[in-house]
Amino acid sequence: MNSYKFDWNVIDKYFPELIRGLGITLEISLVGMAIALVFGLLLAMGRLSSMRFIRTVANAITQLFRSIPLFVMLFWVYYGLSLKFHILFTEFQAGALALGITGGAYMAEVFRGGLMAVDPGQREAAMAMGISRGTTFSHVIFPQALRVVIPPSVNVYVGLLKGATIVSVIGVSDMIYVAQYVSLQTFTPFELYSVAGIIFVALTVSISGFAWMLERRLGRGRSD
Amino acid sequence: MTSAEPFFDFTSVWSSMPMLLKGFGIAMACATVAIILAIILGLIVALMRLSRIKFLRWFAFIYTQFFRGIPLYVLIIWVYFGLAIAAGVNLPAIPAGILTLALLNSGYLSETFRSGILAINKGQVEAGTALGLSRRNVMRHIILPQAFRVIIPPLGNQYVDAIKDTAILSIIGVPELMRESKALANLYYRPFEFYTFAGLLYLFAVLVVSRGISVVEKKLSAHSAQTPATIALSK
Amino acid sequence: MSNLSGVSSIGEPEFLKLVDVSKTFGSHRVLDKINLTVSEGEVLVIIGPSGSGKSTLLRCINFIAAPDEGEVIFEGHVWKSRISKYNFLANRRYEQKLTALRSEIGMVFQNFNVFPHMTAAQNVMLGLTKVRKQNKDLARKAAVEALTQVGLADKVDQYPDKLSGGQKQRVAIARALALKPKVMLFDEATSSLDPELVNGILEEIRRLAKAGMTMVVVTHEMNFAFQVAHRIVFMDEGRIVEIGTPEEIRKTTEPRTRSFLSAILN
Repeated sequence: MNSYKFDWNVIDKYFPELIRGLGITLEISLVGMAIALVFGLLLAMGRLSSMRFIRTVANAITQLFRSIPLFVMLFWVYYGLSLKFHILFTEFQAGALALGITGGAYMAEVFRGGLMAVDPGQREAAMAMGISRGTTFSHVIFPQALRVVIPPSVNVYVGLLKGATIVSVIGVSDMIYVAQYVSLQTFTPFELYSVAGIIFVALTVSISGFAWMLERRLGRGRSD
Repeated sequence: MTSAEPFFDFTSVWSSMPMLLKGFGIAMACATVAIILAIILGLIVALMRLSRIKFLRWFAFIYTQFFRGIPLYVLIIWVYFGLAIAAGVNLPAIPAGILTLALLNSGYLSETFRSGILAINKGQVEAGTALGLSRRNVMRHIILPQAFRVIIPPLGNQYVDAIKDTAILSIIGVPELMRESKALANLYYRPFEFYTFAGLLYLFAVLVVSRGISVVEKKLSAHSAQTPATIALSK
Repeated sequence: MSNLSGVSSIGEPEFLKLVDVSKTFGSHRVLDKINLTVSEGEVLVIIGPSGSGKSTLLRCINFIAAPDEGEVIFEGHVWKSRISKYNFLANRRYEQKLTALRSEIGMVFQNFNVFPHMTAAQNVMLGLTKVRKQNKDLARKAAVEALTQVGLADKVDQYPDKLSGGQKQRVAIARALALKPKVMLFDEATSSLDPELVNGILEEIRRLAKAGMTMVVVTHEMNFAFQVAHRIVFMDEGRIVEIGTPEEIRKTTEPRTRSFLSAILN
């Protein structure tokens, strides 16, 4: 016999807490994305370097970090790295770092594609004017790559946002953590997880939709 | 036991190898079964999205959006700790894990299949229809075999993702690689070594699968240009 | 036939000199020990079949393609593509110095290579602010002036996707000229233009020639080449087959040059 008692009032009661948890999920995913952007750009530049050694290393790092599950990465950073090198990460820092490393490997791919999409003639033209390597990258190549890079970056972010839900396992008090914690007291896991799930789906679907729109708009402006 | 602890010490990893490999095997098995189920489900949903019946199209659209949007971790605790408890079902961990992975991946795969099917030249459909084949036979004998080739690379990526995703099944107690690594890392107090090794095993799996996919892809494309069947039909 | 000012306007005889310049892509030798001298004020036109190495030669003059061997001597300075065989960092530092050479040599490309994310004025200003270190106001004034000279006074703030091919190429010419280069390189500047726009760009090049600009021009426009050149270089398979005045080339007995010219002129 099913003895589960549904009680949707629990949602009303704990809604502010759930939303606060969602705020933490957003925060950690955004910090992770910021790390991923920097790390990914460096990796991509390494992969396009004229030095073979740098290319090989950057390719290997990208492949490695793309292949390791985020969940393993999280434990590797939070328990492995911190114990081995005596770095006292907070749960939040470890989570953001793991997201940043994994996301960085994905962003490396995105940036590489974007940079390679820029016509080599652009670099030639800038070089021919005597513009330095750095300025050529920052003023000519990168701004053009950016346009190609934005839509897939949003998709990487959606991936990180979804990935960020697992940080509760190391004790970050995100929405899932709140749901777990509350359901221990109220014994209403179904209601709490359902609401958390629906909120997530709404969030990720709307961000993905935004990326799709962006892609179409940027794609259209490109024809010249 | 010596008093001086080496900085990196993988001896406990080596001695735990049978357990780790067994966990790895379970992870691979879960991913493989899940992806097979996901292919079947995904194909059904893709065909529903291309159906002439509006209700089926809508259902398939929502199905796809939902399973592509929901994080695996949220879905798995919802299935295992929410739905199962609310419905009073005592779902064992491994089937629950496989089911969850299959549902999630079917969402992605249905999109892959749909675009693969749409990528097939319209002339192929016309040629098949002109021969007097039924809609169903055109789909089965003309479109799907061709779509299959387009689909191989994204299907391979999905399989790779599924393998990586099995790590999350440790949450509900599936004794896969991550679960075993966690237990052993705590037992020997060597998290760095165990998680590093686990990471390398996942890397190994990913590399092997990617390699396999590119071999299959090459083989298919070698005689994909026009098989006798498509030549006969396109005339 | 309009004969240009002729040898009289030519100054310093070894203004720009290429010594034994060679380049290999894979196993294909694109340039094979090229030696060439350009005098100040000279218009040198390079002709030859496609794949003969004309464009690569042009790119080796300002090192946007690095020659494997050989050097470029410009105003008495010797330039190479690298100074060390192994020291990567030294080569990187040297490359920074190469920018000084490049800023003295303007280049115009077949595919325009205007920067699509910048307006016409911004295209011109980039070199002025970043290479010549001018402030923005000054650079803007110079940019408007340069664009006006090529007939784009009304397109100053347009983005390239609103410009025709001919207008884009004018922006590219203005962009190069604004830096007040001492040499201009033209790499098939009219090859991607619609036929009706070709003459306008050729007119710009002719105007520069009259003003005494030193130029190396790669082109397929033979009539133009024979009108504007002081000397014509015929290249084939990475080598210079023949150099001569238009008159000499026209009357040449060299079989490869003859067959190329008769194929093109008929």
